[in-house]
Amino acid sequence: MSVVAAEETTKVNYLTALRNVLHEEMERFPDMVCIGEDIGILGGAFGVTEGMRDKFGPDRVLDTPISESAIVGMAIGLAMTGRIVMAEMQFIDFISCGFDQIVNNAATMCYRTNGEVPLPIVIRGPSGGYGGGGPYHSQQNEAWFAHSPGLKVVIPSTPSDAAGLLRASLRDPNPVIFYEVKELYRKREIEEPIPPGEWIVPLGKAAIRREGTDLTLISYGNPLYLCLQAAELLQEREGINAEVIDLRTLVPLDKETILNSVKKTNRVVVVNEAPKTCGFAAEVVAIINEHVFEYLDAPVLRVTRADTPVPWVQPLELAVLPSVDKIYDTCIKVAKF
Amino acid sequence: MNQKSTVIPSEEEVKTEEDKERKAKPILPRNSLTREDHLEILRQIYLARYFDVRLIKEKRRGRLRGTLYSSQNQEAILVGTLYGLRSDDWISPVHRDMPAFFLKDMRSGWDNPERKGMSIAQVCAQVWGKATAPGRAKDNWSHIGSVPLGIIPSTSMLASTIPVACGVAYDFKLRNHDGVVLTYNGEGSTARGDFHEGLNLAAIHDLAVIVVVENNQWAYGTPVELECPTEDVADRARGYNIPGLVADGQDVLDVYDKTMWCVERARKGLGPSIIECKTYRAFGHGDHDDQRADRYRSKEEIERGRRRDPIAVYKTYLVENGILSEEEAKRYSPEGKHAIQVTDEDFPPEVVEAVRKGVEFAIASPLPEPEEAFKHVFVEE
Ligand SMILES: Cc1ncc(C[n+]2csc(CCOP(=O)(O)OP(=O)(O)O)c2C)c(N)n1
Repeated sequence: MSVVAAEETTKVNYLTALRNVLHEEMERFPDMVCIGEDIGILGGAFGVTEGMRDKFGPDRVLDTPISESAIVGMAIGLAMTGRIVMAEMQFIDFISCGFDQIVNNAATMCYRTNGEVPLPIVIRGPSGGYGGGGPYHSQQNEAWFAHSPGLKVVIPSTPSDAAGLLRASLRDPNPVIFYEVKELYRKREIEEPIPPGEWIVPLGKAAIRREGTDLTLISYGNPLYLCLQAAELLQEREGINAEVIDLRTLVPLDKETILNSVKKTNRVVVVNEAPKTCGFAAEVVAIINEHVFEYLDAPVLRVTRADTPVPWVQPLELAVLPSVDKIYDTCIKVAKF
Repeated sequence: MNQKSTVIPSEEEVKTEEDKERKAKPILPRNSLTREDHLEILRQIYLARYFDVRLIKEKRRGRLRGTLYSSQNQEAILVGTLYGLRSDDWISPVHRDMPAFFLKDMRSGWDNPERKGMSIAQVCAQVWGKATAPGRAKDNWSHIGSVPLGIIPSTSMLASTIPVACGVAYDFKLRNHDGVVLTYNGEGSTARGDFHEGLNLAAIHDLAVIVVVENNQWAYGTPVELECPTEDVADRARGYNIPGLVADGQDVLDVYDKTMWCVERARKGLGPSIIECKTYRAFGHGDHDDQRADRYRSKEEIERGRRRDPIAVYKTYLVENGILSEEEAKRYSPEGKHAIQVTDEDFPPEVVEAVRKGVEFAIASPLPEPEEAFKHVFVEE
């Protein structure tokens, strides 16, 4: 077997997919800089940036102090001078400490300068619950940023999407908030080969993970896999054939894929793990109402996290997060409406 | 003001005859400690060490959830800063300070129900994530607190308790109350905006906020030189025109002296200060990082950092000053031993017993019911 063929079929996990793209883009773009806490000497808390400091040196892989606001501000300055910047948040929860620089400075820069100052910044970090991380290591706070015009918001759910969307994000001239799903980092079951070459998954294109005719499940991140499991159960137990859509990017949003699916199935459940009130699921419901209300045979329902912080110990954490059961029951309600 | 002002006047500070005398025969806060005080301080250091050792062992057996941020080698900082506080003073421990929750106000009696500190059992329940924990296990490990006990609950966001401490201390000021608020921070967290914003505010209003910086040389995988530009982290005090003291974090009495100096000053309304306690992080950042930490830190460095075990340093003092005999000092000797090598015999029985009771309480306590997850998002009427 040739080397190339071997490479093409080697399965990698979600984390390695990300790491490889960072290495490749750093090689391809000599002006690219990575900044963040513990990304250099340590190689990142989760190891996403492992090996980069040795390869590209401490100047391009900068270990910053614990200063999220300064990290984002610095990323803005670097990007202004024409560099591509990857800024890591050790956990996406800590992005709140850099919030002002993101929503007031980075998000509005292009607008304020009449498009003269693009900011090719990717702020990425591990996100999501189900791991017993408690209130500050489990958040899925994408709605804060989807609500701030000028930012793109990306959440990959598979290794090849992680790779393709990260490359697309790094090459995008706008600031991107890139949510990595930490429970997927090393998940064996989802390992897959990454398409060769400079593999890109364009921002703004959803993926249909399971074709179906009776009901549409719309999700992203961790709950996507719960939706796929619920879909199998619906098929097995009730003969309900659910379609499962992975949004992949929230901004820009692939409305077309959503609306086409709704037109086909006429029934929808939206699932995500952020709190319900003002979460992105609410946005999806509103869009469906605005565009294809007449196609609906049932109200669009949501399965989300409860409106609570993410509690720590397992019985509490699972109580507030979406589960296969909660999704299944909601689908039955919608299907039998 | 001389920014390196310490309990013992420096050369530049010696101006009058009185200063000279003070320099020759410094009146150190430690001088008023009794033999009983010393024995109690030693017992508390043992307790902090034993608690940590017990958790390390429990974690290794897979009985605990969450990350264990060992406080080993840093016990002198916790005991030295807490021992001289009053019951009505406030503290805010963070991730590496688990023992502080029960060490607070221990002088009022370990088992005294009126004591303004958590019980060992409560802290164990928190670590085990049980319904009997102060926060009912909604948040993990060090993220607990109690207003009646004067403990600010922290978040994960480093240095975020300093502005909160300003609020508590401002309340003290409005009430003419001479309490102090002592906050703990790693040196890494001194880079956060909240650290600067909080101290700036505290200094402007002479708030009784004492910022203890546990400089253990590493913030996760980043060394102190990449976290702080000044020679000592305490030098950051200059920017706020407040004293920045450097203490030997391995020497409980040095920490005690300097804390009491800052506390007295704060009680008089003279404002905040920083005490940087030099120490070394014995293990990885958390137990998940133990193996990686042995790679990003050299063997020699680790050995050097662990060499001055605070228990050994204190015992030397106690023997030299006739407070303990050589024999008595040797009786319990966990110092210098790795957490997994020490046994219960290395600790005084009352220490082992106190932790054992706490652990048993935690293990016997139930997990919280799932409904608990939905309670108290708002105040319940
Ligand atoms: C605002 C914020 N950013 C990042 C983190 C992740 N984090 C947790 S502990 C830590 C290192 C802390 O180092 P230091 O303050 O020196 O304390 P030490 O752990 O050494 O005691 C980091 C980066 C955090 N908790 N909060």
